[in-house]
Amino acid sequence: MAMKPEDVLKVIAAHRGEAICVPTMTTGPAWREMQPEDFSVGCVGFMGGASSLGLGLALARPERRVVVFDGDGSLLMQLGSLATIAGARPRNLIHLLFKNGVYHTSGSQEIPGGLVVDFVTMAKGAGYKTTLQIGDLEEFKRRFPKMLTEEGPIFAELITTLADKTPMTDRRGVPFDQQAGKLREKLLGAQR
Amino acid sequence: MPESIPAPLVIDALKDTFKEARAALAAEGWRNPTSPYLGWILSVPDTHQKTVLAALDKEDTIKTVTCATEDEACTIAAGLHLGGEPVVLMIQHAGLYASVNTLRGVSMDGKIPVFYMIGLLSREKDKDPKESRHSMVRFAEPLLDTFSVPHARLEGPNDVHLIPEYYRLSRQRKGPAAVLVGLETT
Ligand SMILES: Cc1ncc(C[n+]2csc(CCOP(=O)(O)OP(=O)(O)O)c2C)c(N)n1
Ligand SMILES: [Mg+2]
Repeated sequence: MAMKPEDVLKVIAAHRGEAICVPTMTTGPAWREMQPEDFSVGCVGFMGGASSLGLGLALARPERRVVVFDGDGSLLMQLGSLATIAGARPRNLIHLLFKNGVYHTSGSQEIPGGLVVDFVTMAKGAGYKTTLQIGDLEEFKRRFPKMLTEEGPIFAELITTLADKTPMTDRRGVPFDQQAGKLREKLLGAQR
Repeated sequence: MPESIPAPLVIDALKDTFKEARAALAAEGWRNPTSPYLGWILSVPDTHQKTVLAALDKEDTIKTVTCATEDEACTIAAGLHLGGEPVVLMIQHAGLYASVNTLRGVSMDGKIPVFYMIGLLSREKDKDPKESRHSMVRFAEPLLDTFSVPHARLEGPNDVHLIPEYYRLSRQRKGPAAVLVGLETT
């Protein structure tokens, strides 16, 4: 079973509340259309860094949830970040892995190991508080709202199909520096 | 001749750096920090600065997070900065070489201040780093120059003032800045 990434993002958009979202790769274009003005920062130009950017944000703003939308090829590039995140124990971090088995953005080459790679076991072995796999949209709808209140770090491997758009087919993405600057301004303005 | 810097001097310089950074953040409007720390150190353990890392272990006011890679350290630093927290990276030259794409993509292109303390392991006491036998030592400054990253050498106890100065410079320039630790700290 597999979910459409756009459907997953719609569920996240409906429930995220004040969470900071960190998309990368093929979740970028769809997320931008759904939530153009909100607390998000898309990772462009440093493949593999989404989980670490999310960790830094989670440590800096413990009062807010941070939700990372990682790619499977991207996570493989900085796999050690699983242990760094688990070691830093951010209670407010949700690490969602959009597992499509390929490097969709660069032309759908299969990732090493393809769909066989078991990221749930890796995250569990690294020491995440909760790890799970979801391949069914109804289950994601039930489970995601709970993730927003449970103690993290939480890792969820989401079995997904290919997104309709990639950052290469839809090139309207905002450069990282502008997104980052805007997020910092928003966080500054939103302090309680 | 370069001299070794005692760890307590570096710790004091880091505390001063963070205090100044907090004041600057407060002036910008960041109030009531949510973290109980003066600031954050992101470390991929550097042999050259190990006495400082040992001293940091005993410091309650500074939080050290050990990272698996320097790519992570740079990107976590970006996240902390976006959330209004002050942070210093402690790595060694090999880690700089390992993470140049992140330095470029996150700190330079992202216009995010990242301040590095980089240990020059194997740097010979009687040689300028540029004349070192070791490629690890020799290429650090030319690499930083290639990327137009401002850098300075910490060649002895009198140079610790460069730590807050280059931290400030990274903030002013909204990009990377580095100090190079010449000899192993004591
Ligand atoms: C350091 C580096 N190496 C290679 C690339 C080329 N590249 C761009 S996108 C991409 C694939 C990303 O795959 P994944 O993280 O699985 O995300 P998806 O596109 O499948 O959503 C690759 C390999 C890059 N951007 N950076
Ligand atoms: Mg993929």
